Amino acid sequence: MVSNTRGSPVKALLVEDIAVCTFILSTMLHKFNCEIVVVKNGKEAVNLFLDGKKFDIVLCDKDMPIMSGPKAVEKIRALGETGVKIVGVPADDNAMEAFMTAGADVFVHKPMKLETLGTMIQEVINKKNIMV
Amino acid sequence: MAATMKLSTLGYAASMLSTGLLDEQFQKLLLLQDGSDPNFVVEIITLFCEDGERTIGELTKQLDKRCVNFDEVADFVHKLEGSSATVGAQRVKNACIQFLEFCKEKSRDGCLKTLDTLRVVFYDVSGKFKAMLQLEQQQAEATK
Repeated sequence: MVSNTRGSPVKALLVEDIAVCTFILSTMLHKFNCEIVVVKNGKEAVNLFLDGKKFDIVLCDKDMPIMSGPKAVEKIRALGETGVKIVGVPADDNAMEAFMTAGADVFVHKPMKLETLGTMIQEVINKKNIMV
Repeated sequence: MAATMKLSTLGYAASMLSTGLLDEQFQKLLLLQDGSDPNFVVEIITLFCEDGERTIGELTKQLDKRCVNFDEVADFVHKLEGSSATVGAQRVKNACIQFLEFCKEKSRDGCLKTLDTLRVVFYDVSGKFKAMLQLEQQQAEATK
């Protein structure tokens, strides 16, 4: 069970162009009381960071139009955003290297389990609480 | 979901699981549904069927072109692979994986053959999903 008695809700950015996956991941994030922003490609994600938006966790698909997940991760890290937890969530088996080389923290193959997401959210909450 | 879906509908889903049309991922989706979003499974299934149908239409168009852009074809297949993995439509996902191999090889014939397979398995799953939703709706009407 995810517990967040001290702090503000976890701010999650979901970077996903597949409607079904967006719906399911959003539902799962809502179960952990996350504040969710959804974008459909890597460029929109990068633009949010360029606009000064802050997130605690980013869940990122790999293959998307305009800009891929790994490319977006690389650019987000290059902006100095080293604190945000970035999770690569691809559909295919061959994406791990691309994500990890780009600077993702974790790689979770689709479909993501609720328990796996819960563990990651709890880690983010614990980290936020330490920093407060 | 068990609390909000009728037993007969769950039975229908169970038969899809036992025949390998769906895998355990679908069972996990059922568990995500609760009182705060009682239409969750209906929405997911509807989205999957609509998106999938659109994707298959696009794939047919792409492979009909004189000069096939296999990267674009692969992009569409990836989308369907992702959504089918997420709802637990195992056979659709496996057909997509096979399809992607032919995209890599830039084999039009291979892609066309696999598209036929994909069409069959997708419409099998989506037909059964739609029947399941109809059953659910009928049950809901009957208990009003």
